[in-house]
Amino acid sequence: MKKSTIILIAVIAIAAIWGVSAYNGLVKMDESVNTAWSNVENQYQRRADLIPNLVNTVKGYAAHEKETLEAVMAARSKATQMTIDADNLTPEKLQEYQKAQGEIGSALGRLLAITENYPDLKANQNFMELQAQLEGTENRISVERRNFNEVARTYNTSIRTFPKTIIAGMCGFDKRPYFEAEEGANKAPEVKF
Amino acid sequence: MKKLIIILSLFVCLFAQAKEYTVKEIPMVHLQDRTRYVSNPDGILSPSSVATMDSILYALEQKTGIQTLVVAVTGIEGGDCFDFAYRLGKEMGVGQKERDNGLVILLSTDERCVQFATGYGLEGVLPDAICKRIQSRYMVEHLGKDDWDAGMVAGIRAVNGYLDGSMENIGGEEEEDDTAILYLLAFIFGCVIFSCLIVAIFGNQCPKCKKRHALQRVSSHEISRKHGVITSEVTYLCKYCGHRHVTKEQSSDPNFRGPRSGGGTVFMGGGGFGSGGGGFSGGSFGGGSFGGGGAGSRF
Repeated sequence: MKKSTIILIAVIAIAAIWGVSAYNGLVKMDESVNTAWSNVENQYQRRADLIPNLVNTVKGYAAHEKETLEAVMAARSKATQMTIDADNLTPEKLQEYQKAQGEIGSALGRLLAITENYPDLKANQNFMELQAQLEGTENRISVERRNFNEVARTYNTSIRTFPKTIIAGMCGFDKRPYFEAEEGANKAPEVKF
Repeated sequence: MKKLIIILSLFVCLFAQAKEYTVKEIPMVHLQDRTRYVSNPDGILSPSSVATMDSILYALEQKTGIQTLVVAVTGIEGGDCFDFAYRLGKEMGVGQKERDNGLVILLSTDERCVQFATGYGLEGVLPDAICKRIQSRYMVEHLGKDDWDAGMVAGIRAVNGYLDGSMENIGGEEEEDDTAILYLLAFIFGCVIFSCLIVAIFGNQCPKCKKRHALQRVSSHEISRKHGVITSEVTYLCKYCGHRHVTKEQSSDPNFRGPRSGGGTVFMGGGGFGSGGGGFSGGSFGGGSFGGGGAGSRF
């Protein structure tokens, strides 16, 4: 065998080893993005599960606030119908998902705002604890969303930087979308008297 | 010039009055002393109530392995109590790594808020609703009257009531110590095997005629006995050439009761591998992670 053939074989072998390890690394990162996404969905689901209980408690004290209560239930049923598989998470779908969840958020905000008018309800132990659970869930949602963005950012960075971008291009690793800041979060809240 | 100094000193006063801590600036007293959990840099809490809380939380960690961090400050940067408590727990790694059983309790007097942040592993035993209940029943009333000591001590007692007995202390740190001892034993075992081999190959060789397995021990007498080590002079006689060979040998004193309770010379210091019995050695947080559990109240 010629010396050049040996060198060629060695180079190919090294490239193959690098390729395999790079591919495995990307698969691992891809999986961690999927895990982060399912954590986000879990927390949103948790919030959706709290809603019926909350609505029933409020109903006991403020049955005539029908419109607000129904709006919350409607937003909930719309949002729970929508689940996105982590593998086909496109920016459009994520935006749609975020919009649906955002509607629950604002409907809940209105519901909690009207409860301010019912001192009996506010003093109810059950309601107080439901509210605490809801707050905790909102906190968890924001933690998991932040975490998802971080994991997705690491993944996106590595599939777009050379030389891993070659492997990513060949094996079809796609860029993942990010959660955007909540619509209206940067607007000052509207106060009506 | 004078004006400038006045303005500058005014600025200093302003900052000194309402210090807003960042997560990194909170002093971690637990890292200096494993029996302390309450970080009280502004002296909001009295020393006696800090000591009460420390002893409750130390007993809790001994029993259950749950690590708690209590922080009482005048102000926090950003003003978001949940976020601050969450980041304290996450960045300090409060709680054991395998069980994520950390708890952070934050009191900020400027924000007028008290916030619990529970690690993933505590979300079951200390759900958000219970956190809220503890705050509204035991803490808010006192804290609303600026009675920080009463509010915090009552809160810690209530938390302890819920957590005590909720889990066993199957400490992660001790597991690490076990593996360290295992490695040590393996190493010693290896050394023993190795020296046996050396003796089998080269041992008992007569220095004069170089024949192996030639030396016979004829006599020995003790020269000294120091720190549990006996030094004695041993005489060997070669059975082939009749050469007398005299060496000094050391062995451990079986009757020696020294400052360490360890056995023989080889195992000296073997007793020192426990997880530090001293009351003033620094503690550590295990690296638990947080997922946003807990609840907060304003007063």
